Amino acid sequence: MKPEPGTDLPPYRIEHVDPETMKAWAPLLRDPNPIHLDRAAVRAAGLGDRRINQGPINLAYVVTLLHRAFPGAFIEDIRNRFTDNAYEGEALEARATVTGVEDTDGRTRVTLEFTLNSDERAVVISGTAALILPEGEAT
Amino acid sequence: MALVPLPDVVGTVLDGGGMTISEAENRALCESVGDTPAADGSAHPVWFYVASQVGMGPSVAELCAICAFDVNDGPMMASTGGHFHAPLMVGQTYLVKGEITGLTRKQSRKLGVMDLLEYKLHLDLPDGTRVCSVDNAWVLPRGRDNEA
Repeated sequence: MKPEPGTDLPPYRIEHVDPETMKAWAPLLRDPNPIHLDRAAVRAAGLGDRRINQGPINLAYVVTLLHRAFPGAFIEDIRNRFTDNAYEGEALEARATVTGVEDTDGRTRVTLEFTLNSDERAVVISGTAALILPEGEAT
Repeated sequence: MALVPLPDVVGTVLDGGGMTISEAENRALCESVGDTPAADGSAHPVWFYVASQVGMGPSVAELCAICAFDVNDGPMMASTGGHFHAPLMVGQTYLVKGEITGLTRKQSRKLGVMDLLEYKLHLDLPDGTRVCSVDNAWVLPRGRDNEA
């Protein structure tokens, strides 16, 4: 796609936050935090009744959106705030808007703002990213 | 429950050993989030977080313990950020280096007393070339019964 400031990228929907994904990521992260694996631990922490998605999974959903919009792009920078939890079973949607496009040394650098939104509540994460498009993909 | 004093941990070194992203783990990670492994051997970018967490010296539980916090009390990520000088590559070994940059006690309306842990990590090639720098912040809830 040809990026221009103000362009909304096609959103990426996650219809069902899967606790099996949380279970699969726990060993990748070497993270024993029980709020991702055990509903009783979530209740004990006063955080509700459903297991909580690991934060990096939420960010990875946004990366999927960026990869689909800009195949082959190099993500130079990506950073976000975790403003809410994503819970098992809920639907999410990753959204991003182009904020800038510039030519740098013959390559196109695109900056974006993004969010991951829960259908049930509001913004789960929000952040910014900077991508370098593959050579030949000029503005 | 008595509130533990805020430990003096700023400057604590988090250097770890080597971390290598395997093809199988990268594939599993990509497919779990609806993505496709890159054909050029580059790893999914979110490995900036995963690899630095796995490769830093202390485990998550040990990092929490350094901050006088029990991992079973549910630490939560506040923010993360990765800046890449080059893509992370599958099969490449990275050395993880870093340190704690902040531990600050705050009052949260939702969580009560909480400590904000901030730390910085780097993923370097074995020859010292810096590939990626990572900024992380975690919330360590101290309990709604406490006051700052």
